[in-house]
Amino acid sequence: MTKADYYCSVKLSRCRCCQSKFFNESIRMLRQPLTRALALKSPTRAAPLAARCQATQIQPQPDKVEVFIDDKPVYVLPGTTILQATAQAGVEIPRFCYHERLAVAGNCRMCLVEVEKSPKPAAACAMPVMKGMRVKTNSDLTRKAREGVMEFLLVNHPLDCPICDQGGECDLQDQSMAFGSDKSRFTDIHFSGKRAVEDKDVGPLIKTIMTRCIHCTRCIRFASEVAGVDDFGTTGRGTDMQVGTYVEKMFLSELSGNIIDLCPVGALTSKPYSFAARPWETRRIDSVDVLDPLGSNIVVTTRTNEVLRILPRTNEEINEEWLSDKSRFACDGLKRQRLVTPMLTDSRGNLTPVEWEDAIVAAARALRDCPPEKLLVVAGDMADAESLMALKDLANKLGSENVCTEQYFPLEGAGIDLRSSYLLNTKIANVEDADFVLLIGTNVRFEAPLLNARIRKAYVHKETDIALIGPQVDLTYDYLHVGESASIVKDLATGTSSHEVMKRLQQAKRPIVILGADQLKTPEGSALLAYTQELALKVQEKLADKEWKVLNVLQRTASQVAALDIGYKPGVGKLLQSGPKVVYLLGADNGVVSRDQLPKDAVVIYQGHHGDNGAAIADIVLPGAAYTEKRATYVNAEGRAQQTLVAVTPPGKAREDWKIIRALSEVVGERLPYDNLDEIRDRLSQVSPALVNYGNVQDNNYFAQARALAQSLQKPISGKMDVQLKQLEDYFMTDSISRASPTMAKCVQAVLKQKQSSY
Amino acid sequence: MSVGKILGLDKVVTLFNIIRQNGGIRASLYKLYRQDELKDGVLVGEDKFGNKYYENPRYFYSRNRWVEYSDKFNMDYDGSQIPAEWFGWMHYKTDLPPHQDPSRPRYKWMTNYNENLTGTTAQYVPYSTTRPKVEAWLPPRKSSV
Repeated sequence: MTKADYYCSVKLSRCRCCQSKFFNESIRMLRQPLTRALALKSPTRAAPLAARCQATQIQPQPDKVEVFIDDKPVYVLPGTTILQATAQAGVEIPRFCYHERLAVAGNCRMCLVEVEKSPKPAAACAMPVMKGMRVKTNSDLTRKAREGVMEFLLVNHPLDCPICDQGGECDLQDQSMAFGSDKSRFTDIHFSGKRAVEDKDVGPLIKTIMTRCIHCTRCIRFASEVAGVDDFGTTGRGTDMQVGTYVEKMFLSELSGNIIDLCPVGALTSKPYSFAARPWETRRIDSVDVLDPLGSNIVVTTRTNEVLRILPRTNEEINEEWLSDKSRFACDGLKRQRLVTPMLTDSRGNLTPVEWEDAIVAAARALRDCPPEKLLVVAGDMADAESLMALKDLANKLGSENVCTEQYFPLEGAGIDLRSSYLLNTKIANVEDADFVLLIGTNVRFEAPLLNARIRKAYVHKETDIALIGPQVDLTYDYLHVGESASIVKDLATGTSSHEVMKRLQQAKRPIVILGADQLKTPEGSALLAYTQELALKVQEKLADKEWKVLNVLQRTASQVAALDIGYKPGVGKLLQSGPKVVYLLGADNGVVSRDQLPKDAVVIYQGHHGDNGAAIADIVLPGAAYTEKRATYVNAEGRAQQTLVAVTPPGKAREDWKIIRALSEVVGERLPYDNLDEIRDRLSQVSPALVNYGNVQDNNYFAQARALAQSLQKPISGKMDVQLKQLEDYFMTDSISRASPTMAKCVQAVLKQKQSSY
Repeated sequence: MSVGKILGLDKVVTLFNIIRQNGGIRASLYKLYRQDELKDGVLVGEDKFGNKYYENPRYFYSRNRWVEYSDKFNMDYDGSQIPAEWFGWMHYKTDLPPHQDPSRPRYKWMTNYNENLTGTTAQYVPYSTTRPKVEAWLPPRKSSV
């Protein structure tokens, strides 16, 4: 055996013993984009606070190292970058390409800082700190480096700030004022011209002016890491470098609007908002989104009583700083198809505008003349907790218990008595800590895009594996498709199946099961819920982490959780068959109630903000306020109460919903005992304190009790599962606001057109 | 100077003349109520709207020509109801009233005079050039007509 052979064999054996580790690493490298995989891992970046607490319980913290930022000592964890260390010291370093939630690219060079005993300035975003490192963030060298970088960026940046939509919120503008040179050396007296780049067409939401691009690659990184649509990239080198989609292609993602926020310059701007307003002309009102069940936090930008655009507001527990496209761009639907005046049907059966008094009196007469058991109240997708409460109280005072929501949920077993059976118990932020996710009958990508972004984040950064029972859909990440049959859930729960999924669920330290609420509509729904509870609880009781919740039910609408908390019955089913005389629709637009199901003489009262399915079948229309026009409570899928604020006034004669019901109650003769928002919120807190505990989620328990009650419901199931939203084109128009939005209609058209293209 | 003038009796005579010319006490009180003044004068002419134009050089210049608006205007009379033909005479641009002035042009294409309709329901309102902020829902018509 030669010496070389010996070394060879040693190397081989070493390889073999760490083979599995190597294998895992290679998988991670495949999931992450190359930049991410090669980038230094910084422990403080990836996980939000809630997740970090749990991470620290397991791994002991390494010793902190001392670094000096402008001669001020700071103690940071090893592996922290200079930029993060300076942030801890309270010094902000200018940056373009660096973003907390994206991989480090290090290509803009704006964050150059002087490091003592280093021959060259270092890029702070990519350079890890070393013990005793002395960073100078305001030295002559640093300032000169910044000025130089800024000069290079501006050489090829057009001077079109006056007509640029980013003007006023442009990082390049701000940083050139703060860190740029005080005079220009750009003396292009021959007008040889700046570099010009052709604009790209990436769909009806994003306007591109690529000449303005400074190649920070944030959009590329967002697309490949967060959105999971690897379409963006660069072509060319040096001055010929271009960001684009290689071939002209729409950005087929439900999170595409976020690259507008990410773009530090005006290269990517919002198409519907183009040339509409300047940031200093607008008012910003913090609010909550209601177009999906997650309740993303938003900022509503208004001017002269008109909603101009909607931007995300950072909330680490829910949406981080992203927002889905429907929530962001459907706001122009708030200005179309609105109900602006009360309406009554005339002798010919046509709805005609009337005064409030006439409409209220007509509605009150209908309610008073109706036998209590013949009154049916149906709440829709976007009803707020206050109006739900007021309407339920009114119906109860009239002697009726027939208050229900459009969305169905099985009432057998524990039904809606235990909050844990209809909530997202794991909580959105904790989803990224999960190491195995089992999705049952849900297309999370379109039902709750930001929850899907969390799952994808776990998939990319934490090697979480995902399995799906239900129709095969594109979730933007790889998953194990178990099958479409509901009986798979039964087999897994009863232990008759030895599918790989079961093994993975049992091996996982923090598994979660997410059940789509749409699957519970069928007669087999209660059995499916029972089996899912059984499966989740069987896994949960064996976990080392006793706090970890496995069972999740993903509701479809923003109002459902609040309605169930207040005590609405889910689903109209039997109540509709009993032939109601008066049907009160509170924003119920999903077409669950239709004219042919009702007796001929039934009176339909519709209260809501859009003329859609509900108003079309109504005899009396009471115009309410949309979510940007009222201060109202919404409870998201995890059970977190949040409130919207008034951004604009309701249009025309429309009024806040709970006030309409309160006024109606007075005319009916059953006065509701609350006169202002505080009093009705007191009433809400009597029903459930969770409804007014804004911003917080209560931990759910009683899983075992729900499971015990569900034991008798475990009947054989056989059906196939199907989801409503399969493709991107299904996602855009799902409720009365987005159906009224021209932008959303354009998106559907554009997606369908893109699907015909060969790319 | 007569005794009557010294005692101011000629004013009394004038008053009685004015009352007589205006058709008695009842009619005079009505005119006083409607026009806030009572004058005697020569009827110079009447326009096609029924307004009557008077002149009396006894009054000083600028008050010696006046109009009594047609009864059909009731109390809603105003200066814009004087047609363009009489405008010149009323404002001392000419001493010839329209029916005595042969040099006035009369063409077929000349339209009727219109009073100023501002403040009435028939007033001109320019259409709005701003788009409505909110588009209302129009309920579908269930039956025609």
